[in-house]
Amino acid sequence: MRHPSLTARRVAAVSVSLVLAAGAAACGPEDNDAKSSGGDSTPHKGGTLTVLNSNPQQDFDPARLYTSGGGNVPSLVFRTLTTRNRENGAAGAKVVPDLATDTGRPSKDATVWTYTLKKGLKYEDGTAITSADIKYGIERSFAPELSGGAPYLRDWLVGAADYQGPYKDKKGLAAIETPDERTLVFHLNKPEGEFPYLATQTQFTPVPKAKDTGTKYEEHPVSSGPYKVVTNQNDGEHLVLERNTYWSASTDAERKAYPDRIDVKSGLDSSVINQRLSSSQGADAAAVTTDTNLGPAELAKVTGDKELASRVGTGHFGYTNYIAFNPTVKPFDNVKVRQAISYAVDRSSVVNAAGGSALAESATTYLPNQKSFGYEPYDLFPAGATGNAAKAKELLKQAGHPNGLTVTLTHSNSKDFETSPEIATAVQDALKKAGITVKLQGLEENDYSDTIHSVKTEPGFFLAHWGADWPSGGPFLAPIFDGRQIVKDGANFNTGLLNDKSVNDEIDAINKLTDLDAAAKRWGALDKKIGEQALTVPLFHPVYKRLYGKDIKDVVISDWTGVLDISQVAVK
Amino acid sequence: MSEALVATEVPEASVPGASGARQFWRRLRAQRAAMVAAVVVALLVLVALAAPLLTALEGQDPTTYHPSLIDSARGGVPIGSFGGVGGEHWLGVEPQTGRDLFARLVYGARVSLGVALAATAVQVFLGVVVGVAAALGNRWVDQLLSRITDIIVAMPLMIMALALLAVVPSSFPRPVLVALIIGFVAWGTIGKIARAQTLTLKELDYVAAARLSGWGTLRIARRELLPGLAAPVITYAALMVPANISIEASLSFLGVGVKPPTPSWGQMLTSADVWYQAAPQYLLLPAAALFVTVLALTVLGDGVRTALDPRAASRLRIGTGRRQESKAGKPEAAKTEAGRSEAAEEGIA
Amino acid sequence: MSGFTAFALRRAVSAVLTLLALSVIIYVVFYATPGNVAQITCGPRCSPEQVHQVAQQLRLDDPLYLRYWHFLQGIVAGHDYSTGTSVEHCPAPCLGLSYQSDQQVTRIILNKLPVSLSLVVGAMVLWLLLGVGTGVLSAWRRGRFTERALTGITLAGVATPVFVIGLVLMIVVCGQLELLPFPEYVSFSDDPEQWMWGLLLPWVTLALGEAAYFARLTRASMLETLAEDHIRTFRAYGVGERSIVGRHALRGALAPIIALNANDFGSAMGGAVLVESLFGLPGIGQELVHAVTVVDLPVVVGMVLVIGFFVVLANAVADVLYAVADRRVVLA
Repeated sequence: MRHPSLTARRVAAVSVSLVLAAGAAACGPEDNDAKSSGGDSTPHKGGTLTVLNSNPQQDFDPARLYTSGGGNVPSLVFRTLTTRNRENGAAGAKVVPDLATDTGRPSKDATVWTYTLKKGLKYEDGTAITSADIKYGIERSFAPELSGGAPYLRDWLVGAADYQGPYKDKKGLAAIETPDERTLVFHLNKPEGEFPYLATQTQFTPVPKAKDTGTKYEEHPVSSGPYKVVTNQNDGEHLVLERNTYWSASTDAERKAYPDRIDVKSGLDSSVINQRLSSSQGADAAAVTTDTNLGPAELAKVTGDKELASRVGTGHFGYTNYIAFNPTVKPFDNVKVRQAISYAVDRSSVVNAAGGSALAESATTYLPNQKSFGYEPYDLFPAGATGNAAKAKELLKQAGHPNGLTVTLTHSNSKDFETSPEIATAVQDALKKAGITVKLQGLEENDYSDTIHSVKTEPGFFLAHWGADWPSGGPFLAPIFDGRQIVKDGANFNTGLLNDKSVNDEIDAINKLTDLDAAAKRWGALDKKIGEQALTVPLFHPVYKRLYGKDIKDVVISDWTGVLDISQVAVK
Repeated sequence: MSEALVATEVPEASVPGASGARQFWRRLRAQRAAMVAAVVVALLVLVALAAPLLTALEGQDPTTYHPSLIDSARGGVPIGSFGGVGGEHWLGVEPQTGRDLFARLVYGARVSLGVALAATAVQVFLGVVVGVAAALGNRWVDQLLSRITDIIVAMPLMIMALALLAVVPSSFPRPVLVALIIGFVAWGTIGKIARAQTLTLKELDYVAAARLSGWGTLRIARRELLPGLAAPVITYAALMVPANISIEASLSFLGVGVKPPTPSWGQMLTSADVWYQAAPQYLLLPAAALFVTVLALTVLGDGVRTALDPRAASRLRIGTGRRQESKAGKPEAAKTEAGRSEAAEEGIA
Repeated sequence: MSGFTAFALRRAVSAVLTLLALSVIIYVVFYATPGNVAQITCGPRCSPEQVHQVAQQLRLDDPLYLRYWHFLQGIVAGHDYSTGTSVEHCPAPCLGLSYQSDQQVTRIILNKLPVSLSLVVGAMVLWLLLGVGTGVLSAWRRGRFTERALTGITLAGVATPVFVIGLVLMIVVCGQLELLPFPEYVSFSDDPEQWMWGLLLPWVTLALGEAAYFARLTRASMLETLAEDHIRTFRAYGVGERSIVGRHALRGALAPIIALNANDFGSAMGGAVLVESLFGLPGIGQELVHAVTVVDLPVVVGMVLVIGFFVVLANAVADVLYAVADRRVVLA
């Protein structure tokens, strides 16, 4: 939020959160209908949309991108089998067809998924898009040269675990069949009712084999979407996109693509971006950002100015910041100690440290507070707004620490307002009241990431966060709480080292469901059940607030991305 | 490069001995501005040392949160005029946390001045030792030390600091580490100045004479060269202190400075710059503190340099002959002469 | 061999040695830096097998000396590398490929160098004007209003970190007064006028941080020269004050200014990090900080060598200039 250009950039590069490419962001407040600043508010085609960003689009290869729902800028160039619904709020958390005619037809046990491509789909050079190109696109994401994407394809497709991509292994992946030019059949090694969500990621975009240039493909990826890349300078620092004349709105119900040209400038400091958007001079009047939120200081200024306040988009992305415990480290092996800390925590000062009540909502559930996640409100260890020190002291006494306790809180030294020193000192100050002395151990970002994600070095008590790969409980709970996902010799995300048969079985059972609403309810119930073990202390869910320029119309902010959807924006 | 610096610094230098020290103080005291600056510097150091006392007087401490004093819905901007200034919080409170700004400012002085002074001390020590050794040593010693200095100068400080701060375990006290890193990576320029100045001094009559009379190199370095080095080194060091404060701030900006909740001016500036419009005093307080420090150090540095003034020294020689003579028998005369030439200079300048 | 050839040769040899030593230091320091490079490069959710493959591909499992040897080979002979679909050649002097982006480091440097040079050279002109001007005034016209104001400004420049100066200047000058466009880099060959307007604020920001050193140095040197006997003689002979200050006193101050400028020019190449990041100028400093945070060793080494090269070059140029400015000096 502050100064991303240096610090957040590094965060983005290494952090665990998955939001990277989607860029989390902001949006959609109460009044999305009457958005523009006076005059004719009907959107028109034409004009140039400027995007001011801090992080360069360094990865622009669909195999390497790690996005939620296909990303914002990437989604202008890459169409995928399915995509996110481009609507405001909860409706925008739905998955809808994109290149395919529907969101996928599952076999009875959800282990085989069949897709049919729409007719008349073309690349930017006018050649037809075929099912084999989509298969090839997925295969190349397995090449070590093009690593970076989400782990699900490797985990779910039959026989994919050891596959090394089409450059080394010419035979290809048997798990993906292409019986004809328009049909794809995916064979999974276990039931996965949420496969349609996965098919929104950029690995599901077609890549014509003849045009594949390996690691250099990202310089000019072949477009299947409404825009094609005409300039890509300095490894994604400056991108210029222009209309792909072979794209047809009749096959694409989601992307509006009003502007003729999109100019993405990045590498800017966050305060510069916000200053430029608020001044809205010249080309900046038709500018948005896809990765920079308003920080607390900027918010303080914006809220005092009506004109500026009318140009702020507010949104929610599925994301939770929390305290994590490692129950194999003393004294956190004692559930009473974990509960005591849960009671003692002062969420209001943590929220203030994260930017105040307008930028963070205090959290008592691990799952984000949105319907698509199956959010079921619960507060198992009620701490109130400022912490329940008396209850915490009592629990500590029961745990055998009548005279208080000294513990070490590990956090990162980055300035992301998530796992950063500001949050850590707020926790430190709050626990003082309950007789818990907190020593801070701040680690440099890379060190922090290595330390907390290795079973061998994981500390007992640290700050963490998790973001949604897609708006559902599955990718939110399974990597963190599924005992079979504990990784002993690599990056491990099950930091509570929970391996509970009843939890594992419930995860398997929910994955069988293809009715996503029914699945959501059960994820919510599972979240509460896991919460009883007090392996985490949820702290807050961030709120994204972003400025946009004076001439921007048609702001759409879904609960999927939480940020203004660049494919819907008009500048005229 | 070192070659270019050779004749660059002060052509001649003073030669204070026991009587020189007294002379120096007298000349320093004669300069009003320098004395005011010295008092300001002394006060700053005093404030830093007495930080716990001062905050106790105010009844606050630098780490306690005051959530009731900030407006959470507006990003945590302090409630009340001038950022919540009042009897309780003399300089208001910090946005987002409500921590007391006066307490953070005086505690911040400890870290900022401490780190900057310690780093400067390391820089000056390393620079002078290497520079003098290079100038006095034989050709090979000079070559070796000069090339090492080149490497140090060519090393980008920020980058080395980023890397080194990540390498050292986090249990190592951070302020000490920051001071050491700045000191060890950024002594190149002062090393060059010291070498150049020593080369110049070496050729001066009195040093040559000392050598002829059989003094050892170490003795010459200590007794004859170091005093002559003082003027350029002090002038430069007076600017290095604020530069080091600024480096500490930049490291905070890059996320690797002194760690919270320890306050430092640099850290305050880093988090305050975006608040410039919403809570200006938050930025202005550490900025003003830093400005006063720089101004005071610069004026004091000037004063010290004037007190060691080489021109006075040169006239000293004209008036009394060789340094050895004055030392031998006429310290009083030398002093008077020096005093007079000083007065004469006021007119010129 | 003429004096100059010998000088150039000696300088070249010592430059190469300096740069080699620098590269060794960087290799060792970054070898010790925490951070699982293969995991960072591969992505946070990569499996141990994938991380292993990436490590092999980047030769991260090789011992340090072998990796360094490989690096030296690339500089002398170039490298061939695979993009997956074809084999590309990275011609000598090849500094390797970025772990993160797979781009040739030499190409990244060539892209970024014009930006950093534009920034530093422009700022240098300003800091020399402002710094030397202030220094001359404060030696010659002590106590006048302009002198005091300028001295105050330069001292405030040293006292305030550049990111604060830059941000405040930008908010006031570009945001509120709308006197200048928001800084942006446009290459000189595309549009010289835009290039200048886009860089003006970054120049001022960077120059304000440096000017004070020149002001102090100029003042000190000039005071000394002005007090020297020959200047007094000139005065006695009725030589005009302007001529004394301009021709004689300033000339005496020239040498230290040249020397300091050489040092600062070099360090500004690396030190412009903060200015480049704040204003989003895609230069070497900005890239370097990013590379450090993701432990992208080839990029770090390449960029540090370029900065080192400029430091060495600037100092050599300073020596030549110095010899030209002062005939008494012999190039040694």
